[in-house]
Amino acid sequence: MVDVSQHELVPEHTVLEEDVLEEVLSEYDIDRTDLPKIKRNDSALPDEAAVGDVVKIVRNSRTTDQAVVYRLVVE
Amino acid sequence: MQNSTPKDIGSINFGLMEPEEYREMSATKIITADTYDDDGFPIDMGLMDPRLGVIDPGLECKTCGKHSGSCNGHFGHIELAAPVIHVGFTKLIRRLLRGTCRECSRLLLTEDERGEFYDQIDDSRKLGRDLNDVTKAAIRQARKKDRCPHCGEIQYDIDHEKPTTYYEVQQVLASEYSQRIAGAMQGDEEAGIERTTPDELAEKTEIDIGRVNEILSGSFRPREGQRKAIEKALDIDLTEEDTNKLMPSDIRDWFEAIPDEDMEVLGINPERSRPEWMILTVLPVPPVTARPSITLDNGQRSEDDLTHKLVDIIRINQRFMENREAGAPQLIIEDLWELLQYHVTTFMDNEISGTPPARHRSGRPLKTLSQRLKGKEGRFRGSLSGKRVNFSARTVISPDPTLSLNEVGVPDRVASEMTQTMNVTERNVDEARRYVSNGPEAHPGANYVRRPDGRRLKVTEKNCEQLAEKVDAGWEVNRHLVDGDIVIFNRQPSLHRMSIMAHEVVVMPYKTFRLNTVVCPPYNADFDGDEMNMHALQNEEARAEARVLMRVQEQILSPRFGENIIGAIQDHISGMYLLTHDNPRFNETQALDLLRATRIDELPEPSGVDDEGEPFWTGYDVFSELLPDDLNLEFTGTVGDDVVIENGQLLEGTVAEDEVGEFGGEIVDTITKVYGNTRARIFVNEVSTLAMRAIMHFGFSIGIDDETIPEEAQARIDETIEDADDRVEELIEAYERGELESLPGRTVDETLEMKIMQTLSRARDNAGNIADEHFDDDNPAVVMAESGARGSMLNLTQMAGAVGQQAVRGERINRGYEDRTLSHYKPNDLSAEAHGFVENSYTSGLTPREFFFHAMGGREGLVDTAVRTSKSGYLQRRLINALSELETQYDGTVRDTSDTIVQFEFGEDGTSPVKVSSGDDNEIDVEQIADQVLDSEFASEEERAEFLGTKAEPTNLSEYADDRLVEGTEVTSDD
Ligand SMILES: [Mg+2]
Ligand SMILES: [Zn+2]
Ligand SMILES: [Zn+2]
Repeated sequence: MVDVSQHELVPEHTVLEEDVLEEVLSEYDIDRTDLPKIKRNDSALPDEAAVGDVVKIVRNSRTTDQAVVYRLVVE
Repeated sequence: MQNSTPKDIGSINFGLMEPEEYREMSATKIITADTYDDDGFPIDMGLMDPRLGVIDPGLECKTCGKHSGSCNGHFGHIELAAPVIHVGFTKLIRRLLRGTCRECSRLLLTEDERGEFYDQIDDSRKLGRDLNDVTKAAIRQARKKDRCPHCGEIQYDIDHEKPTTYYEVQQVLASEYSQRIAGAMQGDEEAGIERTTPDELAEKTEIDIGRVNEILSGSFRPREGQRKAIEKALDIDLTEEDTNKLMPSDIRDWFEAIPDEDMEVLGINPERSRPEWMILTVLPVPPVTARPSITLDNGQRSEDDLTHKLVDIIRINQRFMENREAGAPQLIIEDLWELLQYHVTTFMDNEISGTPPARHRSGRPLKTLSQRLKGKEGRFRGSLSGKRVNFSARTVISPDPTLSLNEVGVPDRVASEMTQTMNVTERNVDEARRYVSNGPEAHPGANYVRRPDGRRLKVTEKNCEQLAEKVDAGWEVNRHLVDGDIVIFNRQPSLHRMSIMAHEVVVMPYKTFRLNTVVCPPYNADFDGDEMNMHALQNEEARAEARVLMRVQEQILSPRFGENIIGAIQDHISGMYLLTHDNPRFNETQALDLLRATRIDELPEPSGVDDEGEPFWTGYDVFSELLPDDLNLEFTGTVGDDVVIENGQLLEGTVAEDEVGEFGGEIVDTITKVYGNTRARIFVNEVSTLAMRAIMHFGFSIGIDDETIPEEAQARIDETIEDADDRVEELIEAYERGELESLPGRTVDETLEMKIMQTLSRARDNAGNIADEHFDDDNPAVVMAESGARGSMLNLTQMAGAVGQQAVRGERINRGYEDRTLSHYKPNDLSAEAHGFVENSYTSGLTPREFFFHAMGGREGLVDTAVRTSKSGYLQRRLINALSELETQYDGTVRDTSDTIVQFEFGEDGTSPVKVSSGDDNEIDVEQIADQVLDSEFASEEERAEFLGTKAEPTNLSEYADDRLVEGTEVTSDD
């Protein structure tokens, strides 16, 4: 089977630690349900990501070098 | 208008209304279908009862005492003789019937299942998902149950006959059960099914043999268990469907017993909405103000459609009651009940599929409640989100190359209708008086004044002189639009930001709006009858905002692709091409004439001296006068040569579309990004005027002779075409002999088609090339195609060489008759001419058959555009509705109205396409721009260094006691 998450065009997805998550949420002054969502069965997700976790996605950007996005894992 | 203080809306609740609530808010019960008596007075407890509000001016409302205009009207109510279903809730009613027990009305789910769905609803609500998905799933699961988990009652299927009839479908024992059993016991020899004796049957089904015989004789109806056993033993079906209609009253009773706890799982809040309220027992009657009657010229009253419908409802309601009291048979009662249901249904929605719409006497379908709300002209889209606008004007547009691209020519009659409010102060009082004394008709005049006490006076020809003397500080004057005022200008469809831009007014005679042709691309406007809208701004903030953000020059760079969308077009490009392509020479008079409409009034040093000793200037010299002095650029231009600009001098290359054109003309783009919008506006204005002068200097016209070619060229073209015909013939013969080899992945038929298409398109190209050889470089069609002004070499090929293959759906023309395109050809003729190859050119003229094929191809294009515009319009509407609530917040995130994050940074990079260099090849030299700014901003090297922080300003440290500031400063204290 092909592991899509290893493909060069798939950006890095990492599960956020709880304390880092708190910081992110307070920075944007939101609840975690206000984050964009990602399905648990998304092949780009790391195996350890569980429903309710928040993943950090770092993409390469032509204009800003790196673009960071957080998403809540839902089933 | 008293009592019109705006109110704060604390919250809005959506839910169902209880019958008692309808009665409470009702001003009167309506019992009679009559409206007015013989004297024309409204009848009490009729549909026009004065307690429902007033529409006639002068009368007083019997409920609130107010007069027409201030009384909003009051609801009444009709007590329905029998409950009817509310059409708006038919789907929900069906769901509830299917999901709850017919006996105990409880949800057909166990406690555990219900709890699970309850949690799911909670989750969905938090995640902002559609609750319907969960409630639907809950109903789906409940429907699967054959028996109620609470009381054990058998559940039946619910059938819904649209719009408002519900049946219970039960499987019951068929009436001819004995015949069916006997038939099955006969067996079937052909199918190899053996006979069954009654004894065998009794044994298999474990039913007493006596009973079996009774069943077979039809004197005993088998019970359910016995029926199933027989069905299993004989492999037959002994049931038939029995439908039992559920009357609205039955449904109401059913729903009344649904416990509150069960409803939350179905997404219903039982405190606000009990399901039985979906079955109406009381019908609210809208106030007369919502259905005003109008008096016709002949004195007759004409009633609103809603009133007509209410009359029907009351009549049937009365007949129903009378019949029931008289003890009419059930059949008649049911008919009347259905009729009442029909009228109440169409009162709310008269466009239900499967129900004939209620009609007016004239045959026109009535416009009832739902029709008032729905659609483009409905209350929501027509009256609430879209409104009519004051201070706006619309007229035909026409071009005016003498205007700046920032300006718009406004007809004087528009300018004197649309006004700007002047707040009179000591400083502008003279000016204000001048406007007022001109009166409302002379152009820079005034239409109204407002005195400090708030009274508004109309300025007339008679009173203007007197009024002008009275005007003083503190007054307001509504003066006419004058040159330099800022207005908003728009052309529909407003598909992008540049469809609405701010322009400066230039008041002009005649009746059209005038605009510079370079703003045609952003508006997508032409002058074949296009109309545009203008809006005069009414307050200082709006005017400032429009000037800073919306002015045309601020929109030169498109946010779509980050390059200029405004630039030279059409004749401007031809003109620049003529001016720079062969770098022609001009004498002093000519050169000055070319630059006449620009800021340049002195020529540079001449390039040289001609044979007669007269100084001359080249096209490059003239063009370079428009460039910023320190512009440096090098790129590959439209014509394919290198364009080189050094220190504001064009040294090499031709200036055409890719240099100064509308979509990403390199020079315009660079000037906008490096020197700013104002410089770019000046440049585009000057390029367009220079180009107009240039094209007039050389003269530019096109005629039919410019596309005709010598006979010998025509002969060569004919030969090429004949050659191609022969080759097609060869291909067809090879195909018919079965010798044509198919290309990989294609059938032989497809291969043949492809090869024929290839051959013919090559033939057209060759014909085009032959024709091209005979066109000089100064041929106007060639100039336009080369420079990118208009048209292409393909257009020229089709005019002079051959029009070529006509296609429908990307294939040669194959439709028409059976096995042939037209009756002129033999069946299965595969030749080029029989399938739409046009070998003539537009100049030589098409044959009738060629013309027909050409029309077929052309029609496809027309249909495509028509379909595409309607589709994209709808898509645009959907997209805009979806995106309209998104907003970039001050923290840089993009969020919707419920604060859900859509993007963490605008566009995921927080940059505007307009402010970013979009091409990789021509990078914007930020250092250079910064240096320029610093140069112009700081007089001395020292000041500059201070600003940049390379040299810190000497400070007295005691003024900055804060440690933080002292830290890291290299400055040593004097102390
Ligand atoms: Mg047009
Ligand atoms: Zn009233
Ligand atoms: Zn039950």
